[in-house]
Amino acid sequence: MSAEATLLDAVHAALRDALLSDRRVFLLGEDIGHFGGAFGVTKGLWEEFGDERVYDTPICEEGFVGAAIGAAWMGERPVVELQFADFVSCPFDAIVTVAAKTHWRSGIALPLVIRAPFGGGVRGGPFHSQCPEGWFAGEPGLKVVCPGSVADAYGLLRSAIEDDDPVLFFEHKALYRRLRGELPEESHRVPLGRAAVARAGSEATIVTYAAGVDLALRATDGLDVEVLDLRTVWPFDEAAILESVGRTSKVLVLQEAQRSSGVAGLLFSFLSREAFELLDAAPVLVAPPDTPVPFAPELEDAFLPDAARVRAAVEELLEY
Amino acid sequence: MEPAVDDPGVPLETRLELFRLVLLQRLAEERVMALYRQGRISGSVYTGRGQEAVGAGAGLALGPEDVVAPLNRELACHLARGVTVAHVFRNFLGKATGPTRGRDGNMHFGVPEKNVFPLVSMLGDLVPLTVGAALAFKRRGEPRVALTFFGDGAMSTGDVHEGLGLAGVLDVPVVFVIQSNHYAYSTPTERQMRVTDIAARVEGGWGIPCARVDGTDAVAVYAAALLAVERARLGRGPQALVATTLRGHGHAAHDGATYVPEELRARYGDPVERLAARLRADGLGEDEVERRRHAAADEVAAALAEAEAAPAPDPATLEHGVWASPL
Ligand SMILES: Cc1ncc(C[n+]2csc(CCOP(=O)(O)OP(=O)(O)O)c2C)c(N)n1
Repeated sequence: MSAEATLLDAVHAALRDALLSDRRVFLLGEDIGHFGGAFGVTKGLWEEFGDERVYDTPICEEGFVGAAIGAAWMGERPVVELQFADFVSCPFDAIVTVAAKTHWRSGIALPLVIRAPFGGGVRGGPFHSQCPEGWFAGEPGLKVVCPGSVADAYGLLRSAIEDDDPVLFFEHKALYRRLRGELPEESHRVPLGRAAVARAGSEATIVTYAAGVDLALRATDGLDVEVLDLRTVWPFDEAAILESVGRTSKVLVLQEAQRSSGVAGLLFSFLSREAFELLDAAPVLVAPPDTPVPFAPELEDAFLPDAARVRAAVEELLEY
Repeated sequence: MEPAVDDPGVPLETRLELFRLVLLQRLAEERVMALYRQGRISGSVYTGRGQEAVGAGAGLALGPEDVVAPLNRELACHLARGVTVAHVFRNFLGKATGPTRGRDGNMHFGVPEKNVFPLVSMLGDLVPLTVGAALAFKRRGEPRVALTFFGDGAMSTGDVHEGLGLAGVLDVPVVFVIQSNHYAYSTPTERQMRVTDIAARVEGGWGIPCARVDGTDAVAVYAAALLAVERARLGRGPQALVATTLRGHGHAAHDGATYVPEELRARYGDPVERLAARLRADGLGEDEVERRRHAAADEVAAALAEAEAAPAPDPATLEHGVWASPL
């Protein structure tokens, strides 16, 4: 198929194919119908599938995430869109209190997906640029997915919608139109919980996800460094990390969430417990400082990890 | 004691079933309080004393395929769905065979096979959730209704506001039963909201028809709930009713509720005795009323014995079932 598909196209295609293949799937969110969503991900779906499959909601994230949980209880497979991932703070309670704990408490499965554009680089400032995946990583009962390639965005979203647990699906908004690749076949699925080697290498491993994957690949061009794309950041693929680090003996974690937030803490905890003896050097973290995400280009560029900083950190690690 | 109303739409067999339900809640909760004071129940204990008629009436108004999300005060609603008293006790006692298998206590449970969603403590959370269940019915064209309860205190939460708003916009078959019992923990309703006419707020603010009913009258609650449930089922959109009561115990077992003035208590009848008076007025002999009290007491005693004999949860199972499909 077209090599010109964007990550946004892949998400759109996955939603459309899921709507086509399963009556239980429906979409719920703000301005996702006629308008097609703030980023245009759902454009055309309301026209094609109608009011009973694509619901425009009032501005009530607690309300419609809660409603998605109730519908999932009844066996539907709702897919919620949050206009920006930052707004996930509003339905936090519905997600962490209700969705995450219900199966453990009562055996009721809640198959629902909450999609949300996250991440910086678009001058969104502190309320439209955050990486909130770490708020949910480590939370029993949830799955957290952050695709880093076009094909994975399709395959992971199809798997998430078919999964029986609540899945948070964070789509990096800076990748929506930047990342390109081949749109996979309808049958393409990427299993949740499995990392992928984005580029094989033997001297160090970069563990990253979402926008970090493309960044790591660019930053280490020409180096013999492995880039491991976690894809599912919770629960993450421990075996794949150990396998890669066991070969390279050096590890760098790259994330866009602030250094003391996010998934890095879990990864470092895991590495220090399980990979200590495999490592020839202390694990390295490349991540923004502990501040909110700033607006002005000068500030945001200083905040976000860039290729030069990743390159420098990798080279230092390689020299250790 | 003023008898419950003589609503011709509520047949004698329904009145008798309501009597069984309120009696069971009353007696089960008395046992629970006693067990708590004896240190035989850990954690905390909440009862719905004085409010038994609301859970019983609304619970009984539902059809077998309908779904419900009850709270702490509605033990009788679980029983109306066919949950056994023993199952309730097993949750209080943290037993392996209880509805949460020891993972949660007191009234914090649901029984999925009886279409009862597990209570979530965070007030208001169950309101949007119930709207979503009703949305599923509407999408599938199923003649089913979803019902939940919330209190005057929960009325102040954003979730209730969002849930009522969404219910109206989506126009789904959902029923809200509002337990207006004067207090939210220690805070009286007038410190909770400026407009204390809850039915007027629900009708005027959210456009949801809202009946007012005496929550100590099981017959009246049942009749009002049945009307609301059937209207929702007929596609007339969300429905509500406000049941007015006074919380009979403190918020939880540790709370002596000394902030409740005696004059207020004197204004509220006992739902169990009001229903007994109704049944006597219906021609049921005193011996028949007494026989039913004894039958309920026997059922509660047997249920407790059954629950106490149930096994404790095995710590080795702690990590089971965190995910429906573990990775
Ligand atoms: C969001 C939230 N805040 C606080 C509490 C603690 N809490 C539990 S019940 C309660 C009072 C609730 O009052 P109301 O809704 O009127 O119900 P009632 O207890 O009278 O049945 C409070 C404050 C809670 N469970 N959830």
